[in-house]
Amino acid sequence: MILDLHSHSIVSDDGRAKVENYCQWIRRKALPLDGLVLTEHRLYDDASDYRPLEDEFELLILKASEVETDYGHVLVFGVNDDLRAAFDFGEIGLSLARVVEESDRCGAIAIPCHPGRTRVGMCAHVAERGQVEGVRVIETLNGGSRGQENDEALALADRLEYHKIGGSDSHIVSHIGRCATRLEAKVRNMSELVAALRDGHCEAVAWTEDEWTSQT
Amino acid sequence: MDVSDLKEKWTGWAFDEASFEVDASELVEFAVACGETLPRYTDPSHSDFQAAPSYASRFHGRKQLPEGFPMMREKSFDGGKTVEWKAPIRAGDTLVARSHIHDIFEKTGRSGGMMFVVHRMEFTNQDDLLVAIVDWKMIQQLG
Repeated sequence: MILDLHSHSIVSDDGRAKVENYCQWIRRKALPLDGLVLTEHRLYDDASDYRPLEDEFELLILKASEVETDYGHVLVFGVNDDLRAAFDFGEIGLSLARVVEESDRCGAIAIPCHPGRTRVGMCAHVAERGQVEGVRVIETLNGGSRGQENDEALALADRLEYHKIGGSDSHIVSHIGRCATRLEAKVRNMSELVAALRDGHCEAVAWTEDEWTSQT
Repeated sequence: MDVSDLKEKWTGWAFDEASFEVDASELVEFAVACGETLPRYTDPSHSDFQAAPSYASRFHGRKQLPEGFPMMREKSFDGGKTVEWKAPIRAGDTLVARSHIHDIFEKTGRSGGMMFVVHRMEFTNQDDLLVAIVDWKMIQQLG
């Protein structure tokens, strides 16, 4: 099963894509993608209900968050009321250690994204201040990465034995599915996705020349 | 500078009001400049002649920010505008634009920490009908 684990809709301040348009694009381009996760910036989108779109387009559409920490940006999958009470998703200086710890405690998982990116990725922070306990998975393929950023992320994951995921980081419709994550087994909801990610049953893949290519 | 304090103090109240007359030739000029080719945007004799959807973005009020708002101009830059179309703007309309700070938030990017100030202009016509909402983001680098 292949899911784009990192995308933004108009709910994010810089998102320009409606979720319906993502779905239309996936189907029109016949992208072999089974679904996507909306990881809106600094918030969890309670209001949107994507179930009608899931039915219409036969895609799994899940909701998560992208928060901002002292080690860069972090995707949080499995957001629930307990986790939302644990820290302010809108704060830009959260402690990564705390986000990871609270996510674990609340049954979620925190995954640093675009680690190779300047300032907002964890590679440089790890080099400067050391690794953060509890991180198990990082995003090694990000569709918005430049230059060697994904290579740096992959090197970090290999060195620290992190599991790897991919996501497009799309903010506009045509970027959906540029990178994604292959899951070993089918997941039907966020709980199953969190379990799969925690177990490391995942692989980062990129959509190149009409096929999914493994990063490794 | 605490963003939540700024937000509490400065958002949600009108600090400027300006009115604008809508002229047919300016509607055509704007539409052509945007690359519009549909006659309803470019031909004043068209039965449904109206402004191109983003037309309200061309207006600015008398004040960018409320008096005393603590923005450091030397560290600021334009973050662009978003236009929400609500109803047609037509030649001969008189628009009134009311401005308020809609939101203030922080984020981090490749260039470091940034504060976003969203200046919202709500445009109503002579019938008090809301025709457009324009959000203008102003960005200030932090640190």
